[in-house]
Amino acid sequence: MSVDTTVRMGGLELRTPLLTGSGTFGYGNEFSALIDYSHFGGIVTKSISLKPRPGNPPPRICETASGGIINSIGLANVGVEEFISEKIGDLPLQRTEVFISVVGDSVEEYREIVSKLEGVDGIAGYELNVSCPNVRRGGLDLGGDREAVAAIVSEVRSITNRFISVKLTPHYPVIEPVAKAAADSGADALTLINTLVGMTIDAEQRRPLLGNVTGGYSGPPLKPVALAKVWHAAQAVDIPIWASGGIVNGIDGIEFLLAGASTLQLGSVLFVDPFSPGRIMKEMIDYCERHDVERLSDLTGSLEV
Amino acid sequence: MPTAEKGIVVQIRKINDDIWDMTVSAPVIAGNSRAGQFVHVRVSEEFNPFLRRPLSVGPCSGDFLRLIFIVKGRGTRWLCNRCPGDHIDMIGPLGHPFQLPEPGAHSFLVAGGIGIVPLLLLKDQLPEGTSVDFLLGVRSVSLLTIDNAEIRQKKIQLASDDGSIGFHGSVVELLEQYLHKCEGKGITVYGCGPSPMLSVLKSVCTPKSIRLYVSLEVPMGCGMGACQSCAVSKVDSDGYYLVCQDGPVFDAAKVDLKPEAVV
Repeated sequence: MSVDTTVRMGGLELRTPLLTGSGTFGYGNEFSALIDYSHFGGIVTKSISLKPRPGNPPPRICETASGGIINSIGLANVGVEEFISEKIGDLPLQRTEVFISVVGDSVEEYREIVSKLEGVDGIAGYELNVSCPNVRRGGLDLGGDREAVAAIVSEVRSITNRFISVKLTPHYPVIEPVAKAAADSGADALTLINTLVGMTIDAEQRRPLLGNVTGGYSGPPLKPVALAKVWHAAQAVDIPIWASGGIVNGIDGIEFLLAGASTLQLGSVLFVDPFSPGRIMKEMIDYCERHDVERLSDLTGSLEV
Repeated sequence: MPTAEKGIVVQIRKINDDIWDMTVSAPVIAGNSRAGQFVHVRVSEEFNPFLRRPLSVGPCSGDFLRLIFIVKGRGTRWLCNRCPGDHIDMIGPLGHPFQLPEPGAHSFLVAGGIGIVPLLLLKDQLPEGTSVDFLLGVRSVSLLTIDNAEIRQKKIQLASDDGSIGFHGSVVELLEQYLHKCEGKGITVYGCGPSPMLSVLKSVCTPKSIRLYVSLEVPMGCGMGACQSCAVSKVDSDGYYLVCQDGPVFDAAKVDLKPEAVV
């Protein structure tokens, strides 16, 4: 049995539901010696800001006993000008769909960054990062305010016809109001979830393990939180949901599809297993064959409750 | 170009306390590695511990390479429990190698503890006829990171903090004695070890205008330049280098070696 892995949304046709999680795949070509792009429906770049950001002081990454990791990169990136002049040529535009993650300090900055990127051919769309836990502005303080999210999405929508997903924080006590606000403002999809704010301490040294003290918690332990947010958001909005949070194997992916996701972002797992996209696709196809599912996308939202 | 290779453990032996020496058959990586480069090693069959561990490539011979490591936590504990015949999932070689010395220059290889690993390979890869002194510092004889046979074979001079073997003092103090003898000669120093040691090494080399290359170890994520986790501060401007992509070997003049910047 041949399983159809195509995902169609907002005029886009993705070869598979797999995307990369922003911040885990650099500017799109760092893994090119090892990664087979054919397993991806698309990639999402690291977040691009208006001005260059050097990022947070090191150390920037640590592990947790629970099998997760905490990072505090601080959105280090070259800024949109250098991104366009130096990095666009490295994007795998011929090999997969490319979405640019965008982060700003204000509504105006989101507009300015996207307006500059509108001049670049071949980009499929944008993921608006309104939820980074590692920066003081343009992160949770914007994403935590649903009016701000609505304003950012409306502003960006007014200057682009390209696909827009909005990446939300898991820190809302209830996700539905902000999910609706983003959808009503013109978002084509929601990305759920960004990392959880976390912290680790070296008790012997009485010091935090991260230079920024706190960071964004990711990896397998995050999956139950992400599943719940995807599930709740899927009940509230009709736009597709891009799931992100602890996916390391095909069954993880299937669970997110059942909960209501249309695409699946691979993030931290790429650090450990750059070959995971092929393995995860095979495991999901195996699942479909075992369950007589002809189209992977048929699983979206098919959880029996 | 890095390769993913399933190496096969050929031999694993305990050197001292928590220090292990593993010989792995990995023909592609062993054949392509240059001193200073590292391999990113998976340390669980599942995903806990989650991250790979960056380990310096040690001496290579034919299809084989050596990984010498300290057991510091769950990941390296998993690694030391491998047996001959087990597979080791590695990506490498990664990063920039040491720049070899100019012809006629005298080289000092200055190692602190487990920092000796990339310098063992460098010793093997120095051009024939290179004039070199190889110095290793440890806290105590019980913490030697290689065995006596290799110390003799590679003509390594020892220093120990407690005086239990070799020169009584730090390896940088031992280096200073050597530098005193050969002042005025073109010298390149290659250093690898704990960050406080590298910081002191830099403070000795800089006033004498001695070129110093250091190999750094920091917490790392992807190892490929994508996640930007392994940052070290630049000296001459704001911002950071990435150890995986811009290093792990750096011209010491360009990186901030203050201990809190490198753990």
